[in-house]
Amino acid sequence: MGTPCHFALFDLQPGFRLDLDKLASRYRELAREVHPDRFADASEREQRLALERSAALNDAYQTLRSAPRRARYLLAISGNEVPQEVTVHDPDFLLQQMQWREELEDLQDEADLDGVAVFKKRLKLAQETLNDDFAACWDDPAQREQAERLMRRMQFLDKLAYEVRQLEERLDD
Amino acid sequence: MALLQIAEPGQSPQPHQRRLAVGIDLGTTNSLVAAVRSGRSEPLPDAQGEVILPSAVRYLDDGIDVGHAARASASSDPLNTILSVKRLMGRGLADVKQLGEQLPYRFVGGESHMPFIETVQGRKSPVEVSADILKVLRKRAEETLGGELVGAVITVPAYFDDAQRQATKDAARLAGLNVLRLLNEPTAAAVAYGLDEKAEGLVAIYDLGGGTFDISILRLTGGVFEVLATGGDTALGGDDFDHAIAGWIIEQAGLSADLDPGTQRQLLQAACAAKEALTDADTVGVSHGAWQGELSRAAFQALIEPLVARSLKACRRAVRDSGVELEEVGAVVMVGGSTRVPRVREAVGDLFGRAPLTSIDPDQVVAIGAAIQADTLAGNRRDGGELLLLDVNPLSLGLETMGGLMEKVIPRNTTIPVARAQEFTTYKDGQSAMMIHVLQGERELVSDCRSLARFELRGIPAMVAGAAKIRVTFQVDADGLLSVAAREMGSGVEASIQVKPSYGLTDGEIARMLKDSFQHAGSDKHARQLREHQVDAERLLEAVQGALDADGDRLLSAEERMAIDYQMQELRDLLTGTDGAAIEQQTKRLSQVTDAFAARRLDSTVKAALAGRNLNEIEE
Repeated sequence: MGTPCHFALFDLQPGFRLDLDKLASRYRELAREVHPDRFADASEREQRLALERSAALNDAYQTLRSAPRRARYLLAISGNEVPQEVTVHDPDFLLQQMQWREELEDLQDEADLDGVAVFKKRLKLAQETLNDDFAACWDDPAQREQAERLMRRMQFLDKLAYEVRQLEERLDD
Repeated sequence: MALLQIAEPGQSPQPHQRRLAVGIDLGTTNSLVAAVRSGRSEPLPDAQGEVILPSAVRYLDDGIDVGHAARASASSDPLNTILSVKRLMGRGLADVKQLGEQLPYRFVGGESHMPFIETVQGRKSPVEVSADILKVLRKRAEETLGGELVGAVITVPAYFDDAQRQATKDAARLAGLNVLRLLNEPTAAAVAYGLDEKAEGLVAIYDLGGGTFDISILRLTGGVFEVLATGGDTALGGDDFDHAIAGWIIEQAGLSADLDPGTQRQLLQAACAAKEALTDADTVGVSHGAWQGELSRAAFQALIEPLVARSLKACRRAVRDSGVELEEVGAVVMVGGSTRVPRVREAVGDLFGRAPLTSIDPDQVVAIGAAIQADTLAGNRRDGGELLLLDVNPLSLGLETMGGLMEKVIPRNTTIPVARAQEFTTYKDGQSAMMIHVLQGERELVSDCRSLARFELRGIPAMVAGAAKIRVTFQVDADGLLSVAAREMGSGVEASIQVKPSYGLTDGEIARMLKDSFQHAGSDKHARQLREHQVDAERLLEAVQGALDADGDRLLSAEERMAIDYQMQELRDLLTGTDGAAIEQQTKRLSQVTDAFAARRLDSTVKAALAGRNLNEIEE
């Protein structure tokens, strides 16, 4: 058995806009079928297979659930794999990134929790805008380059969101 | 699918039709065993009607006391009476010393890093002490239920690391238990509550036991218990409340901090009694020797406030990690004896903005949930209404990279089972080996993380630096236990390791303990091994027969079917005799000959789940 398309596994059309509730409920149905708990008294080999299937299902689910990972996956199955690490030519975005990071450092220095909340809202808005832009262009071969750029931007913001969470944790001390 | 068993109301099905399985809560202070009987999960009492077994073991010249009697001797015989052994599980001597200034034992280093405790019966490892508690519970269960156990679900704090989980599994093995699953304590509690209250939506489980603290955030949807995030502290619990009060007595009574073990125990017992009294009373009299004093509830609350605050911080982090807001959490469940402390309930209620649920006894809820899961895993619940638990790994797992940094491969709170691969390369021309150092923890520096294992990938063909492609795969199973494999992609050179944590026991130590335990029990090793092989064989025969009945006609050719039937008959014939080795070998043979069938069944399950979907239109 080759690797089935993640979207097919979840009974979905490949696309960026997803019904996340439907995805989750399909995930639960499938998890019931392959989870190792169902094979607690089966042979060792069956248990190992269940472990592998289950891990693959979890991976597919995590890929589709996260916007940046879903975007990368879509680009991979609709053309070529996008390399993980390349030099990015996106000067405007990089400039904005640097500004955001500086702001975040200031928030940390001032231990400004309200400021962090405002920052989070702005970040969320920026993420939604990016998602909309990506959804509009990912399947147009002529705009492939733009789609890849947007996907990288999504990854940057995702990382930034992670850093905000870490900052919140530090400020909670 | 098995036929539904219909029983008269209030009557259980015939005992021989049920596969006996139990849930065991191996706690810091108390342990319990529970089982599903007549459709209800309940703790099993001992001959005196007590369900709680204090997690106390006393080693005597001529025997072992476990439970109430042992706990009562803690101050008269402190060196041979082991309490709160769970705090030592999977810990190195350095960790133990760190939390153990007040622990009155004589520690000696073992072959590996886990320390032994010197007793009148010689050196005992924490794993052996835990096994002695488990043996009592196993015996209780077998006597109450009237038969041998198929297996047990043993609960562990969700925040237990790999070493602590492995140590717990080793203890169960030593006690002769077949571990069906290690289950996280808060998840077990969620099962007991969720099924009882038919709850749906987001639930927080706040579990403060004797020595450990866990917080888990779950989403409950139609019998699926999905853990979104978990957090905690494996060295925070009611014991720390006792230590805080004991410290207060030492200060108030002007005692020197350098106390003998017996006095330490007396102080801790006085402290624990005061703590319990303050659940209902506003003040309590405390005395030690000639000194007498009074502790108010307010003063007690001030003493434990830093500890409570630590637990709340972990709650906020878990909520953040689960990507939900505090207000969305629809219910908060209290688990563990220490949640009886009024200040704890109040603080948790304030944080979540709702009164915590306490309708199931906080001391019993974990064992009750574990028994339900054990019943499911043993195959007694395959009636469509079975539950599914989707848990996560509590701590990030990763590798050491250049410069002493930890590179995360599996971040914390990833749903398990999980397999992830990461690629690395060589940094020197002609490099022929690579050291793989496996780590667990959240910090950037290797020195701040827990080292789980080291192994070497050798035989990498000579290449220029950076040309080799080495894929390291991490796999975490449903018990939360990790294995790691490394492979050079060009040559196919491989190395792998079942992570035996640095703080776990070496195989030599386990072998010695198993031997010791056989001698102590006076049981015949061969008889026991034979019985184990028989049980394995019977289990496999039953599983294969079930699979054949369900899918044999559909998935097997006539020849394949014949081969399987033949090997089954061989095994049945051997089972009438007493040749353990032959039974073991034939069991393996049958397992091999059914391998392909097993794989086909699993694939067909997935295909059946996909049946009716139009694959063409969705495949690229």
